[in-house]
Amino acid sequence: MTATATRPAVPGGPGGGVPEPAAPPDAPRGGLAGLVELPGAAVRGVVRSARTTPGRLTVIAVGLAVLALLAGVVATITLQERKNTINDLIDHREPLAAASQEVYRSLSDADATAASAFLAIGVEPPSLRQRYDTAVARAGVALAKAASDSAGVPEAATQVETLTRQLPVYTGLVETARANKRQGYPVGSSYLREASNLMRTTILPAAQELYRIDTDRLAEEQDDASGFPWVSTLLVLGLLAALIATQIYLTRKTNRVLNIGLVVGTAATVLALLWGATAVTVQTVLVSSGDEDGSHQVDVLVRARIAALQARANEMLTLVARGDGGAYEQDFNALAPQVSGLLAEANGFATGDMAREVQGAADSAQRWLATHQEIRASDVDGAYSDAVKLAVDSSVPGGAATTFANLDDALVAAIGHGRQSFLDDTRGGDRALTLLAPGVALLAVVAAAGATMGIRDRLREYR
Amino acid sequence: MARGKVAALVAAVALLAAGCGSAGTPADPAPVGDVQAQLPAGVGGGDAAGGSGADNNCDTRSLSPNGSIPAGSTMDKIRDRGRLIAGVDQTNFLFGFLNPSSGNLEGFDIEIVKQIAASIFGRWEGHIQWVAIPSSAREDVLKDHQVDIVVRTYSITCSRLKDVAFSAPYYQAGQTVLVAKNSGLRGMQDLGGKRVCAAKNSTSLSTISSAQPRPVPVSVNNWSDCLVLLQQGQVDAISTDNVILAGMKRQDPNLDIVGEPFTREFYGVGIPLGQDDMVRFVNAVLENVRNGGAWQNTYNYWIEPALGPGAPPAMSYR
Repeated sequence: MTATATRPAVPGGPGGGVPEPAAPPDAPRGGLAGLVELPGAAVRGVVRSARTTPGRLTVIAVGLAVLALLAGVVATITLQERKNTINDLIDHREPLAAASQEVYRSLSDADATAASAFLAIGVEPPSLRQRYDTAVARAGVALAKAASDSAGVPEAATQVETLTRQLPVYTGLVETARANKRQGYPVGSSYLREASNLMRTTILPAAQELYRIDTDRLAEEQDDASGFPWVSTLLVLGLLAALIATQIYLTRKTNRVLNIGLVVGTAATVLALLWGATAVTVQTVLVSSGDEDGSHQVDVLVRARIAALQARANEMLTLVARGDGGAYEQDFNALAPQVSGLLAEANGFATGDMAREVQGAADSAQRWLATHQEIRASDVDGAYSDAVKLAVDSSVPGGAATTFANLDDALVAAIGHGRQSFLDDTRGGDRALTLLAPGVALLAVVAAAGATMGIRDRLREYR
Repeated sequence: MARGKVAALVAAVALLAAGCGSAGTPADPAPVGDVQAQLPAGVGGGDAAGGSGADNNCDTRSLSPNGSIPAGSTMDKIRDRGRLIAGVDQTNFLFGFLNPSSGNLEGFDIEIVKQIAASIFGRWEGHIQWVAIPSSAREDVLKDHQVDIVVRTYSITCSRLKDVAFSAPYYQAGQTVLVAKNSGLRGMQDLGGKRVCAAKNSTSLSTISSAQPRPVPVSVNNWSDCLVLLQQGQVDAISTDNVILAGMKRQDPNLDIVGEPFTREFYGVGIPLGQDDMVRFVNAVLENVRNGGAWQNTYNYWIEPALGPGAPPAMSYR
């Protein structure tokens, strides 16, 4: 403090090339007043020194170095964040969206299967029991995964809480229904209706909401990973312009065409710009295609699968209710066009293996809906046992159990293809950014060093 | 030196503040509030739509029997159609229920439907379309002609006679109370302020609503939903006809029927208003059922084990 305060300011003097930023002319003045005046004094010092050519060159050198380092830091952080976002998409966001899809799907499956099993005369077939057990187990595991991420998102946490609270209640009611059925007690069907009512009015809406939240978050993060990096681009372009302007200025001042340092700095900047632009473009295209060919299609297909499962549950419950199932049949009639519509939507954009599966699913859906009309016709005509047989017996050729299973299998395969496309494309996007962030950082240092050294060469000539 | 003193002072104040401030209470790791058991769909309160079984300010007698099937009659149209459409219950153990191990509907009411179908077609097999209906829909399905007959523990009452026609009674029941064995409740008189379940639009529900001391009526779509509520501890008792309660007791040995019947319910076959030929035909079938031994056989098979010996109600016609 005392040393700088007593030394007189020598603005722009030959040899005193470095500006004196903290040199208030009327020093010594202690305390806060001195501190407040520091920036003002610094600016005045720089302005004074910039009046002479060497001073101006010094200011330019510092400015270029600072700009290069700033552009480097901003671009490196932006690119590293982008790469982290892409990795997060693959490692975290997509698996979570898939987990909440699975919660929603397997719960719908459990509802449909419990109703089918209840329709079976006598002891339920082991295959249906197996399917129900698997659906409940998968829902539980997927729910644990979805729950692990919901802490920071209050609306998702609310849905997870509803699901974790009610799922054990649901399975308890289904088991009570089953125990009563095995003893031949009709109260079992009342327990099943209670369970199904809980599923439809509380559990499935929560699962649907959780699925929507996680799908939206996936889409948001995909947008983040494919947005244009404006700030970094502008900074690098600004740096490039400054470097070129400096060289023009120097050429005019000194009549020398080339300055090695500045040329190296400019080349490093151009290289960073080209590399970055190419890599980010490739990455953006791949992440977007991971959305369009992958996660978006998966979303459409998952919604088709869930609508189909819920329609199937309604088909079963209409028969369980036996004449008292008008509401279930109405729900079926509302869901059936959704299934067809979503499959048609998926058919519009699917390609390759997925297109084949989607076509297979659409064909099976058409056959199933035709069989449903037969089932309803049999039931309405009084041939109840024929209707039940056509609906649940998987040994009946063209029966609803078979065509629905074909539909579901085809959708599972199509969804698998979609998830694979997402993974391949997004992983490709990640690879496109390999080494880019450290590379840009290194190039920024080269640009800063080149600019500083180039101008120092010119400054030496003033000694 | 001064700086040291200031630092000491700041430290002392900070310590004092930390000591005085409340640490709060530990957070509840699972704030779930008041946990309630799940309710069946469509649980409601009381309604008086069923009218009262004791409400006898009208002539509840049916038309005299006639077993012939003239051309163009209602029975003739049913025979042309090839099937009798019957509204029944599939949740009422002993009277009308789906046997889960056979997949067939069984019970006392179901036997009555079979007898009517057999009288029209010669044999009932393949000639009946069963439609399971909730108690609350019995008048509607008859008014809309969705079914030919309703045989579903359907009490003949004056308020219902405004909307539908009834056959002569084929069964006499009486309302009592079903409670948990260890509840200490001994009859309707103990149910003041208690939650008591019955099916919507039933005469039982009207009776509960008007009982003294006043219980809290809870209504459901199907009788077996009442059993669910009682098993889940959401109602204290179920009050309806002794035969329905007997069916519930058979499904849960922890329950007991208490008190003597305090109403008289006559079950009749519900028929759309205006189909007098069908009413007379069904009455003729019921005469045969009563006199031919079928009534007693069916009673002995389904009801006697639960309620002891019984006989058909006396019939008288307008």
